[in-house]
Amino acid sequence: MQEEVLPEIAEADLEAFFQIMHSVYGFDFRDYARASVLRRLGTILKKYGLPDMRALNQRLLKQREFFETFLNEFRIGATELFRDPTAWVALRKQVLPLFVATPQIRVWHAGASTGEEVLSLAILLTEAGLYSRAQIYATDIDPRTLAIAPRARYPLRHKRLYMENFQQVLPDVPFSKYVHDEGNEMVFNPSLLENVRFLRHNLVSDEPFSRFELILCRNVLIYFTPELQDRVIRKFIRALVPGGVLMIGTKESLFWCKEAEKILVPINNLERLYRRQA
Amino acid sequence: MKPDTPYLWVIGGSAGSFTPLREALLKLPYDPDTSIVLCLHRLKHARFQITDAFLRIKGWKLCEPDDKTPIQGGFIYIAPADYHLLIEREGYFSLSVEDPVHFSRPSIDVTMISTVQAVWPRAGGILLSGANKDGAQGLFQMYQAGYFTAVQDPADAEVPHMPNAALALFKPHCKFFIATLSSLLAQKPILN
Repeated sequence: MQEEVLPEIAEADLEAFFQIMHSVYGFDFRDYARASVLRRLGTILKKYGLPDMRALNQRLLKQREFFETFLNEFRIGATELFRDPTAWVALRKQVLPLFVATPQIRVWHAGASTGEEVLSLAILLTEAGLYSRAQIYATDIDPRTLAIAPRARYPLRHKRLYMENFQQVLPDVPFSKYVHDEGNEMVFNPSLLENVRFLRHNLVSDEPFSRFELILCRNVLIYFTPELQDRVIRKFIRALVPGGVLMIGTKESLFWCKEAEKILVPINNLERLYRRQA
Repeated sequence: MKPDTPYLWVIGGSAGSFTPLREALLKLPYDPDTSIVLCLHRLKHARFQITDAFLRIKGWKLCEPDDKTPIQGGFIYIAPADYHLLIEREGYFSLSVEDPVHFSRPSIDVTMISTVQAVWPRAGGILLSGANKDGAQGLFQMYQAGYFTAVQDPADAEVPHMPNAALALFKPHCKFFIATLSSLLAQKPILN
């Protein structure tokens, strides 16, 4: 059980950390929401037995190979199959029909994490008969994405939750059509990943690499400050084709992005689905 | 932080706290300078249900905040199901989907500790009836940082585990019976 006694972090050491991240590793975390950053760093210090932030900074400076481990811990990506089922129902019923006559459906799944939501989308595209026309780019700054997501295997202990979510979104489709058990894992049909490419991409510093009919970015913006949210949402606007659709987390909003007001029109306000004006 | 930063009551509770808390809030006079943050253990996918149960509290505006919602006086905020709710020093909320703490998301510890880290200038923490020890550590850290802290008397709590866990760590400024909660909340919490 996780205890909530986390080491204190001095302001100067936090600044030094941001410096190291930026100048040594090319990651800019300064515009990450502070409360979460402090929480993550405190948890990492405790987990690796580091007495204070200075010790972590030293380790990040001296042990380059520790960085990947660190990034795994720092960039948390808790997700699940069809997290927020009602949002996926809205995507299925209100968004996918928009693409019936679209010859090529390019999808950017930004912050794909361990891949459960990539599979969620692939399942819905398959059921809608659109999968063969789709090309999904699933990106994350976390190297775990590239390691875990392409396997499409998850611990069996999540099965009940995944199945319940699945049945809420697709009540007439058996879960077993896409998933079977193997030992202590559930295995998703490899065909779901045929049109998926997993790429490492930093949402903060890297530019979009194409234009897209659909962009999904769920529960990533919550770790950013309002200013960074604004920058990233404007990046999405530029990357969407006219008529393209943006799906964000159900508790995320476009509140801090002035530009979005005019250009992104709600398809479903409650489930946070927006369409770019033509 | 802006000079008109509201007073902040951070209230944590789980089993046995909803009904008495609601009754206390119904009696609470409206105060445009105070915001109340409720971090209550609730079931996944129970979007809006708690908000509905708390509706119609006179004067107060109810809000299940989105990420980065500004914190304003005169509001009662309810932590959304399946997210941690954190207070940012810039005066808005952040949400997080990090692992549950004490099997809980939202976790009371997370919200209370974030209040301390945000160095919110005027806040108080209150822990009510509940079935696990989430909140005890968070309230203790509020206490150590000089914030006003209050715990429901275990003898008065339907499920005393949560208040007991806090009392095992430290002696809060106040131990109260739930019948007096509304008059407690009508006071302004001040950093010592």
